[in-house]
Amino acid sequence: MGVWLKRHSWVVPYALLAPGMLWLILFYVYPGIQMFIASFWSGTLETGFTFSLDNYTNYTEAFDQFSPFYARSIVYAGAATLLTFLIAYPLAYTIATKGGSQKNLLLFLVVAPFFTSFLLRTIAWKIILSDSGLLLGPLKAIGLVPEEFRLLATPVAVISGITYNFLPFMTLPIYVAIEKVDGRLVEAAKDLYAGPWRPGGAVVGGLVGGVLAAVLGVIFNWSWPAMALVGGTAGALIGWFLVSESFIRVTFPLSLPGVFAGSLLTFIPAIGDYINAEFLGNPSTRMIGNVIQNKFLTQNDYPTAAALSFMLMAGVLAVVAVYARALGTEDVSTGRL
Amino acid sequence: MVHQSLTTGPITRRRVLAGSALAGMAAFIAACGTKGSAASAPASSAAATAAASAETPTEAAAAATPSPELNWANWSYYIDVDANDPTKHPTIDGFTAEFGTVVHYSEVIEGNDEFVATIKDALNTGKDTGWDVITLTDWMAAKLIRLGWIEAFNPANVANLITNIKDVYKAVDWDPDVKHHAPWRSGMTGVGFDSAAVGDITSLAPLFTSDPKWNGKVEYLSEMRDAIGLAMLYLGLDPTKPTNEDCDKAVALMEQAKADGIIRDVKGQSYTEDLKSGDAVLSMAWSGDMVQTQIDKATLGFALAKEGGMLWTDNMMIPKGAVHKGTAELLINYYYDPEVSAAVSTAVDYISPVKGSDAFNPDDKDNPLVNPPADWVARLYIFGALTEAQEIYFNEQFAKVIGVG
Repeated sequence: MGVWLKRHSWVVPYALLAPGMLWLILFYVYPGIQMFIASFWSGTLETGFTFSLDNYTNYTEAFDQFSPFYARSIVYAGAATLLTFLIAYPLAYTIATKGGSQKNLLLFLVVAPFFTSFLLRTIAWKIILSDSGLLLGPLKAIGLVPEEFRLLATPVAVISGITYNFLPFMTLPIYVAIEKVDGRLVEAAKDLYAGPWRPGGAVVGGLVGGVLAAVLGVIFNWSWPAMALVGGTAGALIGWFLVSESFIRVTFPLSLPGVFAGSLLTFIPAIGDYINAEFLGNPSTRMIGNVIQNKFLTQNDYPTAAALSFMLMAGVLAVVAVYARALGTEDVSTGRL
Repeated sequence: MVHQSLTTGPITRRRVLAGSALAGMAAFIAACGTKGSAASAPASSAAATAAASAETPTEAAAAATPSPELNWANWSYYIDVDANDPTKHPTIDGFTAEFGTVVHYSEVIEGNDEFVATIKDALNTGKDTGWDVITLTDWMAAKLIRLGWIEAFNPANVANLITNIKDVYKAVDWDPDVKHHAPWRSGMTGVGFDSAAVGDITSLAPLFTSDPKWNGKVEYLSEMRDAIGLAMLYLGLDPTKPTNEDCDKAVALMEQAKADGIIRDVKGQSYTEDLKSGDAVLSMAWSGDMVQTQIDKATLGFALAKEGGMLWTDNMMIPKGAVHKGTAELLINYYYDPEVSAAVSTAVDYISPVKGSDAFNPDDKDNPLVNPPADWVARLYIFGALTEAQEIYFNEQFAKVIGVG
C-alpha cells in the first residue's frame, strides 16, 4: 500500500477531494441544474411544465417585477454586514490581544447563541423588541419614547436580527486573522517610533465614522446629518484615544483577510435570508428570499422562483467578484498594501 | 417521464392516462396497493361522479383487515389530549384497542401549501407519500381531488361517514357524495380583538378603517382565502362566487389599509402571539384559537361580524398510493361515531361534522364556536371554488398584500 501510494502520489489529493466533490455534485450541482432547467419552463402545476429556451423571458419579467426586492435585500444585507463588522472587529481584537487565559471562554461565548436554533433566537428577538417588551416597555414608561413608537415590523428590527444572527460568522474569521499577526512586527513598529495616531487618527476616524453613520441613517430613515455628527464624533474620539499607529500600519492591514472572509460569510447568507424579514419585519420589509419562498410554496410558480434564485446567485457572484478585486486576499495576506 | 404524460393535455384526457398509467404501474409497485383504478378516478366533473357512483355497488368489498400501523398527518392542537399525559390521545388509544393498529399521529401540518409541497413529488409520480391519512382544508382538498391524487373510499368501510355526516357538508361541488374526503373539523374566520383596547367589535369595518385606537396594531391573515373572503364580505361581495374583479377590489381595499398605516403585519398562526403581547389589538382570527388565547389574556375575544365570516373545513383524505388504505378507512369510520367525535370536541373548540355528536358533548351546548347558533350559521360563507387560472391570479394579487408581489 505504502509503496503503491508513493508511486501514485497524484491519487492522494483526488481521494481527499472526492467526498466533498461528491457531496457538492449531489446536493449542489445536480439541484442547480434542475433549477436552471426549471427556470426555462412555462406552464402550471396542473397543465404540466414545458421547457423552451424562449422562456428566457422568465428572467426579464421576474427582474422587472422584483428588482426592488433585490435592491432592498442588498441594502439590508449590506447594512447588516457593516454593523457586524463594526461590532465584531473590536470584539475580535480584544479577545485576540487582551483575552489572555480567558480566550477560549470568550470565544465560546461568541458562538454560544448557536447552541439555540436559528428560529428560536429570532423569535426571542420578537419578544425583546415587542412594543411593550423588555426594551421599549421601560423606555415608554419613563416617556423617553412616544407610545406609538415601535421597532418590530420595521427595517431596524430586520437588520438588527440579521446582524445578531450572523455576528459569529464575522467575529471568528477576524479573530483568527488578528491572532495570526506576528507580535514582533508590532514591537518593531513601536521601536520605529510608532505611537498614538494623532492627529491623523482623529481626522480619519471622524470621517469614516461620520460616513458610516450617515449611510446607516439613510437606510434606517433617520436624520442622516445627526447620525453623521454622532458617528463622526465617536470616530474622532476613537481615532484620537484608542488607535495607535502600529495598529493602522501593521495589525489592521494584516487582519484584512479575516475581514474579507467574515464579510462574505455574513453578506452571502444574509442576502438570501427570509426568516428575519418574516418574523421581525412586515409587508414593507420583505426581502427577495420571501418572494422566492412565496413563489415556490404558495403560488407553485416554479419557473419564476427558479429564475429569481438564479439571478440572486449571479448577483451575489458578481458582488463577490468585485469585492475580491477590491480587497483581494493575495496582496493583503502578503502584507503589501 | 411518466409524470409528464400525467400532467399534460386537457383534464379529461389526463384522467384516462392517469388511470391506465396507474394500472400499468401496479404490477411494478406491489406495495402500492392501488387496485381498482376506475373507482379512484377523480370526480372533477358531474359526469365522472355519476359514472363512478353507478359503479360503487359492485366495487363494495368486504371490510378491510386492519394493518399493524397507520400514519396520520394533522394540524397541532386538533385532537383530544389525556388530562394526565399530554402525549396521549384517548380516542386514538380507543382505535388501537379496537383494531390493534398503532396510529402514528403526527402534528406536522402548519400550512396547506407547505405540507403539500412535501408530498407533491410522490403524488405526481404515483409513489407512496408515507401518509395514510392527511388532513387538509377544503380548497386544497378540492385541488388534490381534481388532480386525481386522492383515493376514493370503499363505501363498505365508511358506513358511519355516509350515514352520520351533517348534510351541510354534502353541499360542496368538488366532491358532492363525499367519496374522497371526510370532514374532520370546521372553524370560522372572523375578528379577534382585545376589548380592553378597542371595546367590543361587531363589524368588519375596524379591520379596514383608520382609527388612532388601533392604527399600526391591526393584523391580517396570510391565508389568502380568509383575508380576501373577509375583505369581500366587508365590501358586500359574495365570497362563495369569487371573481377576478372581486379579488382586485379586495386587494385594493387591503393595500389602502396598508397605505393608511392601519396594518402592522400580514401573517399566519402567530397573530395569536401578537394579540397576547399587545403588539396587535385587532386581527383576522380563527375561532378556536381565540379560546386558547383567552387563557392567557381574558380581554381577548372573537367576533363573527355582522357582515359575516368565513367557514372552512379541514378534511381527512387518503393520498394516492397509501399503503394502509383499508385501515385508513376504518379510522375515518371510527371518527364518524358520534361518541368518538364528541370526545374530540371536548378538547377542540371547533365544529364537529358528525350528526348527533353534540348530544354527547353537553358542556359545549352554548359555545357558539363549537355549536354555532342559527343566526351565526346564516352569516357564514364558504369561499367558492377557484379554477386553476383564477387561483394563480388570486395568489399573485394577494402576494402584494403579503408584501412579496
